[in-house]
Amino acid sequence: MASTAATRTAAVASKVVKPIFSRDLDDAKRRVRQLYRAWYREVPITVAKFQLDITARQGRDKVREMFDKNKHVTDPRVIDLLVVKGKQDLEETIHVWKQRTHLMRYFHETEEPRPTDFLSKFYRGHDP
Amino acid sequence: MAASLVRFVRGGLGRSFNIGRSSCLLQQQQQHRRQSSTTETSPTVRAKDAVTHNQLAVFGEYVAEILPKYIQQVQVTCYNELEVMIHPDGVVPVLTFLRDHTNAQFTNMTDLTAVDIPTRQNRFEIVYNLLSLRYNSRIRVKTYTDELTPVDSAVPVHKVANWYEREVWDMYGVFFTGHPDLRRILTDYGFEGHPFRKDFPLSGYVEVRYDDEVKRVVAEPVELSQEFRKFDLNSPWEVFPAFREPKEAAPKLEAGDKAPEKK
Amino acid sequence: MAGLLKKTTGLVGLAVSHTPHERLRILYSKILASLQTMPQDAAYRKYTEQLVNERLTHVEEEPDIEKLEKKISCGQIEEVIFQAECELNLSRKMSEWKPWEPLIEEPPPNQWKWPV
Repeated sequence: MASTAATRTAAVASKVVKPIFSRDLDDAKRRVRQLYRAWYREVPITVAKFQLDITARQGRDKVREMFDKNKHVTDPRVIDLLVVKGKQDLEETIHVWKQRTHLMRYFHETEEPRPTDFLSKFYRGHDP
Repeated sequence: MAASLVRFVRGGLGRSFNIGRSSCLLQQQQQHRRQSSTTETSPTVRAKDAVTHNQLAVFGEYVAEILPKYIQQVQVTCYNELEVMIHPDGVVPVLTFLRDHTNAQFTNMTDLTAVDIPTRQNRFEIVYNLLSLRYNSRIRVKTYTDELTPVDSAVPVHKVANWYEREVWDMYGVFFTGHPDLRRILTDYGFEGHPFRKDFPLSGYVEVRYDDEVKRVVAEPVELSQEFRKFDLNSPWEVFPAFREPKEAAPKLEAGDKAPEKK
Repeated sequence: MAGLLKKTTGLVGLAVSHTPHERLRILYSKILASLQTMPQDAAYRKYTEQLVNERLTHVEEEPDIEKLEKKISCGQIEEVIFQAECELNLSRKMSEWKPWEPLIEEPPPNQWKWPV
């Protein structure tokens, strides 16, 4: 009984999580760079294929912004999951399964900026 | 409810039971089912089928004895369904055993899905429902995972698992390692989040509409005023807040009546 | 063979076997050989050896295919051959997986408690 308890605490102490792909952070970062490169190369082709009203420069800035949005993540498993989702996204873009509306969603063209100061909130009518 | 009929088997592995029965465990099941259905007459109570229950329990013990490395618990529910709870590492071995073993032959995967129970340490339960055409019998295999732990894909064992696992990935966000083609299946491209998670709001995060200026469908973050978020479950249809009928108030006491609790 | 009367099994992808006895004998001996590599007290070895030996004796005793099918009573003889092939595959994988070892990890507390 005591031995099983001892082994259990030992198991908890050296709790090894199952990796998704990457063993450590460097490995995960390598995958992120790979994905970024793939997106970077794909942007001009995408702009041409979908006939978007943006330049390749704007597209690349947007890609960079999307990557920067998750720069605070340090857990390799979370990074791996995000990379998986990014890859699926890229695949959908490359095969033109997406349509123009799905791509333009990244640019938030029609959204009004949320009111920040008191007076514009007051004009808006309710406080969201 | 089901817990009252649970049979824990793992403790009794050392026990020997009649091996001769095991070669045709599930075969006898059908005959007994026919016999026992005639005895119960009360219409609202489900007929208790002790024979089927016992056979399933014996088969559960048989499986648990062969695969003690993976099986954590075996139980037969009150509806006579055999459930095998396994460690997530044992998905492929257990499913392969159930498919290929001559006494099991669960060659048909009828369903694969997940359950989200956020209070647990491993919040997702993955459920595999299998059917044996040879013995006309069903079995349910359950395992567990959390948001970040990948589960081995069942596609090498059952081809049908392909789309089911895509569905689980899309709806719950469980990652399956070794899946040949893991991508979304139900949600729209560009959709974020996993809608079957319990922490996903009923009204979602985005609102889709056609915009005449840019001539395309746009998706904007939804901003429901708090009033609309007060769901009442009186009607299955969404009713506008101003037109909701109030619930029936408690009957008022007339002046002459005595209040029952106080004097 | 004298027993060969039917032209089809009626099942898609399952051809009529012309020499089922030989095929079964080979398969069963292969299964038994593969089981030899497992530890003596493994439950899988125990039950499968018993099952295979039972079928093997039927195959050796009974030359007539229809009677043999009745004795084994697990479908047509071609299906029995298919089951043996599956079992052989499984037994080879089993010796890799070693499922007779003790449980890898206990479930976390209250994992299987329902209702929560």
